Amino acid sequence: MEPIKTKDKTVLRSLGLGGYFGGGAEGMVDVKDGKIVRVRPMQYGWKYDKKDVRQWSMTRNGKTISPSWKSLPGPFSLAYKKRVYSPNRIKYPLKRVDWDPNGDRNTQNRGKSKYVRISWDEASKIVGDEIKRVHKEYGHNAVLLQGDGHGECKTINTPHGHAGVLLDNLGGFTLQVRNPDSWEGWYWGAKHVWGQGAQGIMYPAANIVKDTTEHADMVLFWGCDPETTPWGFTGQFASRLCYFWTEAEIKQIYICPDLNYGAAIHADKWIPVLPNTDAALQLAIIYMWIKEDAYDKEYVATHTVGMDKIEAYVMGQEDGVPKTPAWASKKCGVPEWTIKALAREFSDKITSIAHYFGGGMIRGAFAHEPARLECVLLGMQGLGGPGVHQHQLTYFGMPRAEGLGGTFFWNPEIEERLSIPVFSSVTAWQDQVIPKTLIQHAINRDGPITFSGTGAQNALVADQFNEYTFPIAKEKGGCDIHMIWTDTPCRITCWNYGHETELAMQSSQIEFIVAQHPWLENDCLYADVILPANTFMEVDDILTNIRQGTQQPNIMIADKAIEPIGESMSDFEIVVEIGKQFDMEEALTDGKTIADMQKKVWEYMGGEKLVTWEQLLEKKYWIYNTAEDWEEDTPGLRNFYEDPEKFPLGTPTGKLEFYSESLEKAFPDDMERPPIPKWIEKSENHDERMSSHRAKMFPMLLMSNHGRWRVHAQCDDITWTREAPTCKILGYDGYKYEPVWMHPSEAESRGIKDGDIVKIFNERGIVLAGAYVTERIRPGVVSIDHGARHDPLKTGEIERGGAINTISPGPITSKNCVGNVVQGYLIDVQRVTGQEMDQWRKDNPEAFAREYHPDAGLIFNAWVVGGEK
Amino acid sequence: MKAFFIDLSICNGCYCCQIACKDEHVANDWTPYAKPQPDTGQFWIGITEQVRGQVPKVKVSYIPKMCQHCDDAPCIEQCEFDAIEKREDGLVIINPDKCTGCKLCADTCPHDAIFFNENLNIAQKCTGCAHLLDNDAEWTVPRCVDQCPTEALKFGEEADFADFIKDAEFLNPEAGTKSRVFYKNLPKKFVGGTLYDPVEKEVIIGATCTLKDTENGDTFTATTDNFGDFWFRKLDDDRTFTLTLDKGGKQKTIENIVTDKDLSLGDIPMGLV
Repeated sequence: MEPIKTKDKTVLRSLGLGGYFGGGAEGMVDVKDGKIVRVRPMQYGWKYDKKDVRQWSMTRNGKTISPSWKSLPGPFSLAYKKRVYSPNRIKYPLKRVDWDPNGDRNTQNRGKSKYVRISWDEASKIVGDEIKRVHKEYGHNAVLLQGDGHGECKTINTPHGHAGVLLDNLGGFTLQVRNPDSWEGWYWGAKHVWGQGAQGIMYPAANIVKDTTEHADMVLFWGCDPETTPWGFTGQFASRLCYFWTEAEIKQIYICPDLNYGAAIHADKWIPVLPNTDAALQLAIIYMWIKEDAYDKEYVATHTVGMDKIEAYVMGQEDGVPKTPAWASKKCGVPEWTIKALAREFSDKITSIAHYFGGGMIRGAFAHEPARLECVLLGMQGLGGPGVHQHQLTYFGMPRAEGLGGTFFWNPEIEERLSIPVFSSVTAWQDQVIPKTLIQHAINRDGPITFSGTGAQNALVADQFNEYTFPIAKEKGGCDIHMIWTDTPCRITCWNYGHETELAMQSSQIEFIVAQHPWLENDCLYADVILPANTFMEVDDILTNIRQGTQQPNIMIADKAIEPIGESMSDFEIVVEIGKQFDMEEALTDGKTIADMQKKVWEYMGGEKLVTWEQLLEKKYWIYNTAEDWEEDTPGLRNFYEDPEKFPLGTPTGKLEFYSESLEKAFPDDMERPPIPKWIEKSENHDERMSSHRAKMFPMLLMSNHGRWRVHAQCDDITWTREAPTCKILGYDGYKYEPVWMHPSEAESRGIKDGDIVKIFNERGIVLAGAYVTERIRPGVVSIDHGARHDPLKTGEIERGGAINTISPGPITSKNCVGNVVQGYLIDVQRVTGQEMDQWRKDNPEAFAREYHPDAGLIFNAWVVGGEK
Repeated sequence: MKAFFIDLSICNGCYCCQIACKDEHVANDWTPYAKPQPDTGQFWIGITEQVRGQVPKVKVSYIPKMCQHCDDAPCIEQCEFDAIEKREDGLVIINPDKCTGCKLCADTCPHDAIFFNENLNIAQKCTGCAHLLDNDAEWTVPRCVDQCPTEALKFGEEADFADFIKDAEFLNPEAGTKSRVFYKNLPKKFVGGTLYDPVEKEVIIGATCTLKDTENGDTFTATTDNFGDFWFRKLDDDRTFTLTLDKGGKQKTIENIVTDKDLSLGDIPMGLV
C-alpha cells in the first residue's frame, strides 16, 4: 500500500474561548495541504520528557490525582475546524443595502435588511468618515465602544478592544462597561462581606483544591456544573477531579433546579431547588444552626460582625417571621425534612461550597442576597479552616507553578500595546461610561441616567458607592451616543431583555453601527457596516496557558495554521486599517512586528528565567514546573482563620461583615440590598416569584445556564455538536430549535410532547424552542441555556433562534447594582399550533425566507445579497 | 490483537469521541482505508444517552457505541465482493474502492455500526483509525481514544487488558459475533427513595430497607443515610420486588416495584409513633 500523508505540520493553540490572556484548553492543530485536517488534545510530551517536568499530586483515602499528560479540550474546541470553515464566516466587508451615509440611513430596518459586499477601501473610508463626522457634529463621546469579554484566546490579536486604542488616541469615547456577567451576586454582595475577592469570589484562594481534597467530607455544588462551564476556559480537568473525589469518598451534593451535567453523573444527592430561591434555603439552614447550636460560635465572635442582627432576622424578632424550614420550603420547593437534613450534614461534616460562575443562584434578581448568605453560612462554620472554602472550582486554587507570579488571566504590567486593548473589557477607563445593562436606556432616554458603580470587572468595592451620570456634564464633553463600534458582540442573546436592545439599535439616534467579527451572527445583524475578522487559526500569536485551572501551565508559540479566509483580517489589523484614515498606523503598531510582540510577551512572563527564547522558538512550547514548595502555600483564607487581627480581611472592620455598615450608610433606603442579607420577595424592579400576581399568567420559573455546547454565544453553528440531543431539537418544520427542558407533568398538562415546537413567553415577548421533556428538571421550572444564535422572526417581539435572553428582565440586579438578571423569572410555555405558525409565516415572510440549513442553522447567504457567489 | 475497552463508570458524556471521529473522517479522504463520511448523520462512534429515574433521583448514563470489529463478523460473511477484511491486528475495514454499494453489510450488522453513504454509494464504518496507526508513528490509538479526557475509552493489545476483560461484558451478547469491544459498568436498574416522618417532618436515618424479588426470593438490603435516602443499584431488568422499610419496630411495605425502568419511589412517609 502507498504510504498516506497524515499531515504536513502541527501547530499549537489555546482552544479555550474565555478570551483575554491566560489561554487554556490547549490543543494541537494538524495542517495538510493548506487546510486544517485535525484538531486534537495537546500531548505535553510532544517535545519534552515527563520526567523532566515537576508535576503535582493530591491524595485522600489512598487515592491520588495528578495532571494528565495531555490536555482535555471540550467538544466545541475539538470541533473548532467547523468554526474556521463555518458557512457563516464573513468573507469580505459588508454594507447594509439600504444604509446610505449620504442619504437615508433606514435605521428602522436594522436586523431585517440584507447586506452587500464592499471593498476594504470603501469600508475603511466609510468608518473613518463617520468617526470624523460624528466627532465634529457631536463630540468624541458620541462614539460608543462596546467593551466586551470572552472570545478566542489571543494575546497579540486579542478581540474586543483594539478599537479603544484608536478612539482613545483620537480624544476618547464612551465606553460600554461590561458588567461581570456570571459574577453578579459575588460582585455586588459577597464583596461587602469579605472584601474585594476576585470579582467577589473568595480570594486569596491558593491551594484550596488541595485543602478541600485533604480535609473536606462534603462539597456542595451550589449551581456549579463542573461538566459544562469549565470546557470554555480550561477543558475537562474538573471532570477528573470530581471522579477522583468520588473515589476518595468526598460526598458531592448538587443544589440546583435542573439535573445539570455534573449532577447527572457525580451527584450523591440532587436537591432540586426553585431558581433564585436559594436565599430561603440558606436562611432556614441558619435557623437550624442557631436553634440546634450547630455552628462555630467562637469563630463567629472573633471573625465576624453582625451575627446579632442576623439572628434577630432569622429567628423572627425583626419581622415576626421565623425563617424556619417550613417557611423556606414554601418558597424554595425543597421538602422541610430535606432542609433539616442538609443543615445538619453541613454542620456535622467538613464542607466546602463549589461554583463555576453559573447555576440558579448567582444571575437572578437580588443575587447579592444569596451570595452574602453563603458568606454567612461559611462564616458560621469556620471559613478558612481545613476544608472550609468557597470554590470557583479549579478556576482558583490549583497548585502554584514555579516562576509564575500569579495566575491572573491578565497581567497589568504587560506592555501597553497588549494591555490597552484589554482595558475596555475590564476597566472603566474613559470619562463617559455606560454599563452594558443600561445601554438601551442610554439610547432611548428621557433624562440623565444615574447608576452606582460602573460594574467594571476590575473596579474596587468603593466604586459601588460612587454615583455616575450618563451623559456626563456637557463641559466635560458629555453627549449622547450617535455611533456604535462593536467587536465580537453578543448583547441580544447574552444580556438583559434582548428584545429591548434590538429595538434600541434601530433608533435613528444611532446613525452608524460598525461591527467586526468572524461570523455573521447575533448583533452583527444590526450593523450598517461589518468588517470581517479572522480566527486564531489564521494569525501568529503567543499564548500563556496559565489561566486559572490549567493543570499543566505552559507558554506556547501559536504559529499561523492557515491563511486568512477570504479578505478577513485580525481584530488588530482591522483597527490599524481604520487607523490609516487618521494616519495612526505607526501609533497603533508601535512599529513592532508580530515576532517582536511574541518575544515581548515572553519577556513579560519573566521568560529568560524559565526557558531561552531560542528553545521556545525551536520547541514551540515550554511547560512550567510545579513549584517545589507549592504545598506550603497557605490555603484560602487560612491566615484570617488563624489570626483575624494580624490578617484582617479587606473590609472596613477587617472582619466578615454579616452586617455592612458601609451599605447602611451609603444606601439607607435600599430595600433590595439591605445592610444584612435577607429574603427579598419582590421590589419595584423585580416581581418574579411564584407569589406574584403575574404568576397567574406566567406560572413557571425560567432557569438558564451557560450553554453546554457553546461558550456564551460562541459555537452555536457547529454541525457536529448540533447532532447531540440536548444541543438542538429538529422541529417538524425542518428547523433546529434550542431545547427547553420541561418536566413530563408540565408537558402533559399543556398537551406538549417531546420534540414539539413550543413558545416560551411573558410580557416581554416570545421565544420559540423545542420541547425536551425530561426528568432532569423539577416541575414548576423550565431550563434553556442562554447564548443561542439570534434569528429574529419579528424584531423586538418573536425570536426563533432560541435566544432566551430576549425576554429576560430589563431591570438591573437591584436599584444600586448594575448587574443583569437572566434567570429565575416568570414565563409560560405553550405548544405552537399550526395556525399560529402559519400566521407568523404570513405576517413575517422575510423571516421564513432566509436561507437555512438545519445542520449549521442560518447561513451567510441568508443575509447577504449575492452571497452564494 | 487489538481491542477496545470502555468503562462506563467514568464516561462523562462529553461527546468528544463522537466529534473527534467526525473531525478525522468528514471531508478527509483516507482511501483505501476510508472515504469521507457525510458532514452529519453517520456515527462511526456515537453516544447513546439514557436519562434514568424520576425527580429527584435521576442519573444519566452514556454509552459509546461503535463497530465491534467482530471476530465472527456477519458483514464479512455477507459481503459478496470481498470488500471487507479483518486485519491481523483485529480491525475490520471496508475497502471503499471495492465496495459496490449493495447495502447487505449495513442491513446485516447486528450492532447497527455500518452506515450507507448515498452520495458515494458505499458502506462506511469505524476503521479504528487504521490509516493513522499504519502511517504515523505518533498514533498508537484511534482518535476517539486519543482524546478521551477521563480514559473511559481505551485501545490496545487484548493480552494487556486481561484484568479489564475478566469483569467485562458485551453490549449485544445475543448477537454472538465475538466482539472486540469490551464494556464495564453497563447501566443496570436502580430503585431509590427518601424515608421521612410526616409528623416530625424529619428524615428517618438508619432504617433497614429490604428489597425482595417476589419470584426468585433474591434479597438486597440497604440502610437510609443522613438524608433519609436509600439506594438499590445494579438490579436486573424487569424484576418485581417488594420493599420493606423498618425503623425502631415500625414497618412499611411497598409492593409491586417493577424494574422495567429505573425508579424513584419519591419521599415516603412513615409514622414512627
